Amino acid sequence: MSLETAWLALLGLLLAGYFVLGGYDYGVQMLHPFLGGREGKGKEKETGQGGGGGSAALDAIAPFFLGNEVWLVAFAGVLFGAFPHLEGTLLSGLYPLIVAILVGLVTGNAAIQLRRRSRSARGRRRWDVLIVCGGALPALCWGLVVGLLLHGVPRRADGSFYIGPGDIFSPFTLACGVTTMLLFAAHGAAFVALRSEPRLGVEARHLGALLLRGAGAAGSLALLLTLFGAGASMTNRPTSAVIAALFAAALAGAWWFLTRGHNVLAFAATCCATALPVLLVGAGHYPYLLISSAGAGLTVDHAVTDGATLKILSAFGVLVIPVILAYQSWSWWAFRGRTGLRHPSYF
Amino acid sequence: MSAADLARLQFAATTGIHWLFVILTMGLVPLVAIMHTRAAYTRDPAKKAVRERMTRFWGQLYVINYAVGIVTGLVMEFQFGLSWSGLSKFAGNVFGAPLALETLIAFFAESTFLGMWIFGWGRMRRGVHVTLIWPVALTAYASGYWIMVANGFMQHPVGYEVRDGAAYLTDFGALLTNSSALIALFHIALAALTTGGVFIAGVSAYHFLRRTKETELFRGSLRLGLWVAMVTSFFVVIVGEMQRPVIERTQPMKDAVLENSGVAEVQAQLVREHGPGDYVPWQDTMRISMDAMTIIGNTVSTITFIAVILLWKSWLTRWRPALWVLVAMVPFPFIASVGGWVVREVGRQPWLVYGELTVENALSHVSTAALAVSCTVFIAVFLALAVTNWTLITRFALRGPDATQLGATEPLPEDLPSGPGGGSDEKQPVPAF
Repeated sequence: MSLETAWLALLGLLLAGYFVLGGYDYGVQMLHPFLGGREGKGKEKETGQGGGGGSAALDAIAPFFLGNEVWLVAFAGVLFGAFPHLEGTLLSGLYPLIVAILVGLVTGNAAIQLRRRSRSARGRRRWDVLIVCGGALPALCWGLVVGLLLHGVPRRADGSFYIGPGDIFSPFTLACGVTTMLLFAAHGAAFVALRSEPRLGVEARHLGALLLRGAGAAGSLALLLTLFGAGASMTNRPTSAVIAALFAAALAGAWWFLTRGHNVLAFAATCCATALPVLLVGAGHYPYLLISSAGAGLTVDHAVTDGATLKILSAFGVLVIPVILAYQSWSWWAFRGRTGLRHPSYF
Repeated sequence: MSAADLARLQFAATTGIHWLFVILTMGLVPLVAIMHTRAAYTRDPAKKAVRERMTRFWGQLYVINYAVGIVTGLVMEFQFGLSWSGLSKFAGNVFGAPLALETLIAFFAESTFLGMWIFGWGRMRRGVHVTLIWPVALTAYASGYWIMVANGFMQHPVGYEVRDGAAYLTDFGALLTNSSALIALFHIALAALTTGGVFIAGVSAYHFLRRTKETELFRGSLRLGLWVAMVTSFFVVIVGEMQRPVIERTQPMKDAVLENSGVAEVQAQLVREHGPGDYVPWQDTMRISMDAMTIIGNTVSTITFIAVILLWKSWLTRWRPALWVLVAMVPFPFIASVGGWVVREVGRQPWLVYGELTVENALSHVSTAALAVSCTVFIAVFLALAVTNWTLITRFALRGPDATQLGATEPLPEDLPSGPGGGSDEKQPVPAF
């Protein structure tokens, strides 16, 4: 495997990791007001330790939250470091969507971390609105980005592009956006089912199964549009078909396991479903990273940084990536188990 | 406003506000780590309890500030690609590497370990828990290093050659040891510690003015804050001055503006070298910022020196005007740090990469309307976050250690479940409140 391919795989791993980990964060953010929050039950003491007004669903993601969001930052860093020629084109081309994602992230992340610092229930409700929007907006916009990358973007002669409302509001792109949003929500529900106390878990399971049906319907629409020529224009058709089939299987499996109460398997299935769109964009278009139409666009070789820089990055990467995976795994292990026992609820 | 002005304003406003959070984060985290470690190694149970409360109180303020710092930092990571795609086109081969390494080496670890530290109170073993805060502190500074390497390349590009209109990395070592990066890093590290020390001393002084019952907690904090601020504010001025020869050598225009002599000559010389254009940055803004920074640096240094002497026999805590001075001093290091940022970044104009790429030429093909919308939204959100941050920090700082939420553990039942995951037939957990 050449260095370019290795770094592309790492880029894909970071984005897929972000979709899986950030995905359940956004899902829980969107769903938390509907999942048995403790808000309003009993009078809260204004002083004293712990304050009050915690949300059981947010408690589930809390210890992982800070460690999840960095996957996106690492993705952006590696995009700039290893594929600078893609970075400039992609981010400036997708300008409105990236700005929307960032605004959603900033408000949502700040709201999660500061919500409990609020003294009154009213103040917390205001943060709650931001938490929900801050989950829904990035989830939807990432879906739109995936849709645009699958479909192709209007590249100009100099390689740059700029998307307008016409590109964003095409039926296929919107279908991708809605699929991703519902999928992230279902993924969040599956995580709550896995990690929260059992009563809330049952509630989350039912909600998750319902959302998965919605995601399946929206996903089918995107598939239909593609079959009729108004959707994705894939470079590698057989590979794409296999990945799409796996995606469908993951959705169906997640639904099946959720309705049967197999929480671990259901969460594993939603993890696969959230990661597979990244693989579809990457492997479905390889060696192109950014297409204008099937088989035309910016290739890996054109996007990648200079060989000398890549070698230096690789020397660091070989050391750092295993360490990152090790301490992230440690943090997952350290906070395994359901919430409620010996879990300081801070967010 | 032109698209370039809007993009510039957006970048300046977001970076400037982000920087205010960064400097307090970098200033507080080593001190919190020291407090936590001291608490862990204290035998006497009463003293240990005080030191642990002290860690949680300052840790709470640090974590609030970190929350806002991290979300604004998230935006920074995308800014270059959004508005300045010319930078990645020209310098992507060089400039991207330190940013990638910053995220992988430093930021990833900082955030993950901080998450574990916040939620590890009462859950992880003491020794392990205390250890977690140290990688957080170290990676905060490692982040600073990589960012300064990237910024140093913009100030004074080294270790590269230009082929066909693009820069290629030729000497990684030179990039990492760029004097424009290293001395500046040293300077901001000291400035951050000054800010953190002055902040802790000021908040502690306020609690003495309010005749706090937590005398032991705040006496310890006051002493630590003042000593750190005194030592670092002395050296921050010296290291700041050490940058002047570097500037003189690498950025003649910045030097001429700060010296207020020879601006016209340098302008004429730059026109000869790089073609016609205006190479003079905003002179008044730079000089005012420089003066503000110098005056504040020297004043803080003097006041903390006197205050440390007054710590003897607790004169300081009994003399109320001195305590008020310490409270009033809290905002000034922030003002000075913005001044330093203005001198460095405004003084770099009109260059994005000094001598190689101008800011105007690096602008993305983004419509002015889109930039106007994003600029307005970002500035509004960031200002709102800044106000929220300081309101919350002030509130939690004034309410004192009793109101600390960080590390407040839920009641611990005797019957802990065994094993991870747990089945659906697990015992109902005890409600927290």
